[in-house]
Amino acid sequence: MVHALDEIRRVLVPAGVLIDLRPLEARWPVEVASGTSTVEVGRLTDLPVAIADDEAATRAMQEAEMRGWFIREREEFFSYVYSWDTPSEMKEFMEDEWEGFEKLEESVYQSAQSAWAVANADARVQVRVKMLITRWKKSN
Amino acid sequence: MTLQRDPQHLERKALLRFADFRDKRVLEVGCGEGRLTWLYADSAHHVTAFDPDLDALRVARTDRPVRLESRVALTGASARHLPFPHEKFDIAILAWSL
Repeated sequence: MVHALDEIRRVLVPAGVLIDLRPLEARWPVEVASGTSTVEVGRLTDLPVAIADDEAATRAMQEAEMRGWFIREREEFFSYVYSWDTPSEMKEFMEDEWEGFEKLEESVYQSAQSAWAVANADARVQVRVKMLITRWKKSN
Repeated sequence: MTLQRDPQHLERKALLRFADFRDKRVLEVGCGEGRLTWLYADSAHHVTAFDPDLDALRVARTDRPVRLESRVALTGASARHLPFPHEKFDIAILAWSL
């Protein structure tokens, strides 16, 4: 990762901008949301591979900063949702796309099913993903 | 499957808050299927987006909007050895790829 950051630095103009946009493992909330309310029914379980990836990315940027390659200018956390019509569609997606990174515990799935079943007809189930965006400036 | 990803477009808004793409030459590292690329490429002068996953790139090429065909170049590459000259880009984006 550090070598890749050095390569990016090489191809950037002086004072060029590097944007690092990525999700952060933070036991993302599982919610049932309708037009009138949003209820958290549990949280996903972060798996070790995902946590290790997060830590490695953070370490790489720290290393690049320490070497004087980039200067951190601005940083924000924000979140957005992945949303499905039904809990079973959420589960299917996670098994297909997030296997090895995030785990939907059976108890959380059942809580989502229960909450969704009694919610308004427009209710959807969603996962709120925590994101980090950082702007770095290439130092000269 | 009825997945809606970021229906409020918060990721795009964050990206546009953090970088002014107007008239900029942009390098996107790890573009995958181009999901993020299509969110900002209209604002840029030119985008070079790369990924080592050739299957994902094939999807990106298929999904690339016609209006972006001359503005967005998609290529297979690894971030360890970027096949570009020194100081070619104004902005680089690590798109879920660090």
